[in-house]
Amino acid sequence: MSPRLFAPLAASALLAGCATPSLTLLPSEEGKQGAVAVLEENGRPVETVVNELNSRTNLSGRPRTRSIDPSKLTARQLALLQTLPPPPVRLTLYFLEGTTSLTPESTPGLNFLTQEVSERPGAEVQVTGYTDTLGSEDDNDRLSQQRAEQVLTILAAQGISPEMLNAVGRGERDLRVPTPDGVREPANRRVVVTIR
Amino acid sequence: MMVRVLSIALGLAVTAQPAWAEIGRIKRSVGATAIERGKAKLTPAPGFQLQPGDTLVTGKDGQMSLTFIDDTRFAVGPNSRISVDEFDYNRTTQAGSFVTRVNRGSLAVISGQIAKSRQDAMKVRTPTSLLGVRGTRFIVEVPK
Repeated sequence: MSPRLFAPLAASALLAGCATPSLTLLPSEEGKQGAVAVLEENGRPVETVVNELNSRTNLSGRPRTRSIDPSKLTARQLALLQTLPPPPVRLTLYFLEGTTSLTPESTPGLNFLTQEVSERPGAEVQVTGYTDTLGSEDDNDRLSQQRAEQVLTILAAQGISPEMLNAVGRGERDLRVPTPDGVREPANRRVVVTIR
Repeated sequence: MMVRVLSIALGLAVTAQPAWAEIGRIKRSVGATAIERGKAKLTPAPGFQLQPGDTLVTGKDGQMSLTFIDDTRFAVGPNSRISVDEFDYNRTTQAGSFVTRVNRGSLAVISGQIAKSRQDAMKVRTPTSLLGVRGTRFIVEVPK
C-alpha cells in the first residue's frame, strides 16, 4: 500500500476507534500476562485471541489489535482504573488442638482484620474454618464451623457489623498440610478470613 | 433463591447452596446510579448485596465499584448499562460461570477465580461481540 493511500485509511480507523465498541487489554496489577478472546463478532463465531498487553481491539467488524501507549490512556479510562476496588486480603488464624481457642500467636491478627475492614466501605468478610484429621469427619465439620463462628463472634464484638460477616466450616477438607486420617497437625487447625 | 432458579434454568445440578445468595457487593457509588432488579429500581450504597440478573445503571455523572465473591472486581463508568446475566459460583471448588453484558458505557474488570476455573468460564457480551476472559485486567467500552 502506498503511503498516500495509507494516511486517509489510518485517519478513518482512528476516528472509528472512538465511536465503536472496543477492548483495551492491560497487564495485571502484578504486571502479568493475560488474554481475552473474541468468540463472536456480529453474530458470527470467530476466535481471535488478544494477548498483546497495552493494546486496543475494535469489537465491531473484523477484530484488529493495535498497540497503545499505556501512559496515554484517556481520562475516562484512568478514572475507571483508579476506582477499581483493592484486591482482597486473606489472613489465617490458628487454633489450639480440639478447641475454639486461638493460639497466642494468632490473636494479634484480629486487630489487623478490624483495621482492614474499617478501611473498606461495604466490606464482605468471609470466615472459613478447618480442622486437622484427628477425630471423626462429623465432629470435625462441627468443630470447624464452631471455630469460624468463634472468630465471627470476636470480630462482631470488635464492632464489625454482622451483615458484613459470614461463617462456614469445611472440616478436614482442603488440608493446608496434607496428612493421613487421625493425624494431629497444628497448621491444619485454622480459620481463613477473606476481606473483600 | 435467584441462584437456585438460575441453576435449574441452566439444567445444572442443584447442590446444597450456602445460606448466602449474594454474589457481590457495591463498594462505592457516586452520582446518579441504580440497580435494576426485575421491575424494582434500587439505590446502591456501599455494602449493597448483588444478585444474579441485576443490572447496574449509571447516569452521566455516575460511577460504581464492586467486588464479587469469586474475587472479580468491577469499575463502572458514566452513562453505563451493564447486566450480570449469569453468576454461578461454588465456593468449595472455586469454579463457576459468569456472563456480564455491557449494553452501553464502560467497564473495567480484574478477573477472579471463575475466570481461572475453566477456559471462557467468564464471558462479556457487547451489542456486537462475545468475549472470553482468560484472566486479566481490561476495559470494555461501548459508546452510544
